[in-house]
Amino acid sequence: MDKNNLITFKVQRYDPEHDRIPHFQEFMVPSGKCLTVLEGLLYIKENLDSSLAFRASCRMAICGSCGILINNYPNLACHTQIEEFHSDTLTVKPLPNLPIIKDLVVDLIPFFNTHKSIKPYILRQDAEEMEKPTAEYAQPPRALETLLQFTHCIKCGICISACPTSASDRLFLGPQALSQCYRYCTDNRDEGEKERFPMVDTDHGVWHCHLAGACSEACPKGVDPALAIQLLKRRLVSRAVALGKKQQPSSTVPSPAETKPKLPFPGFTVK
Amino acid sequence: MRNTYLWLLQLITGILIAVLLGVHMVLMHLDAILGFFGVDATKITSWESMIERSNQGIWAGLYIALLAVVLYHALNGLRNVILELTPSVRTERVVTRVIVAFGIVTFVFCSYVPIALLSA
Repeated sequence: MDKNNLITFKVQRYDPEHDRIPHFQEFMVPSGKCLTVLEGLLYIKENLDSSLAFRASCRMAICGSCGILINNYPNLACHTQIEEFHSDTLTVKPLPNLPIIKDLVVDLIPFFNTHKSIKPYILRQDAEEMEKPTAEYAQPPRALETLLQFTHCIKCGICISACPTSASDRLFLGPQALSQCYRYCTDNRDEGEKERFPMVDTDHGVWHCHLAGACSEACPKGVDPALAIQLLKRRLVSRAVALGKKQQPSSTVPSPAETKPKLPFPGFTVK
Repeated sequence: MRNTYLWLLQLITGILIAVLLGVHMVLMHLDAILGFFGVDATKITSWESMIERSNQGIWAGLYIALLAVVLYHALNGLRNVILELTPSVRTERVVTRVIVAFGIVTFVFCSYVPIALLSA
């Protein structure tokens, strides 16, 4: 960090035990090349105010913990360089559309509950095979390609915070859950449409998406939830009017009879 | 699939409004366009012409159909807006019932005119 090059972090503070409403606090943080917003927040925590609360874990845009609002744009703090903004001041706030626990920490429990409600796992009719699997279910590369980008979701909640419908309708399922519903319904190993469709075909489900596309624009992993929602709508309509080809769930593939011999473990080079 | 059918109907009524309202607009207000195609539309808005059309079942049917699709499209859209702005299970039930009742009453009241004119 360059101690001469300082940048102002305007951080929204809120402690429900002491504050009635959120307020801003300014911190001067030494800036430098390739410095991320998360590193700035860590500097504040370690050197200026240890009471600042924020979430972070992997520091490489994998865990989805550090989603915050940076200069009024939702992004991962570890995935955002301070230099990107070409500004002396950075405004840092918690993600909107989610209840604040403290400072930059938001309550993600309702978000995860919504995610859980659409049953984000493979559902099959062959319960016995699911309980005691004897082999893998076949999935050709082309079938994987149809859903691959939606598997990149890291459940950071950034799409929800960018979504204008989630801002006005607190019961709206949100782009994350809806895109994951499509991801599992389109999986050729899955047979769970009948269980998932009643969850998304509600007054606050898939039909309430305004197609603003803010979720796709904000997603730090390049997932396109708006596309998934449109494809889910198409799937629902094709089932409602009994049009379109219904995919047959994939069967299990037997394990190969012969496996390649394992490479011998290299011997020790130092005796 | 209830909401999927409601949304499909919203799409279908939107297309029907464009067609039926298009017919109404061209006949009643855009006589210049009809004149361009060689149709004399000056008499269409006269009282005699209106009564003559009202006696024909097809015109009464068109106007009742236009009333039905406009009511569905507008009230379903209004219901969606209200439910989005006031999300709660109780509100949902009340709003749906009020809007359905309003739609039925308006439809019965307004479709009485073309039906009465059929026998005029």
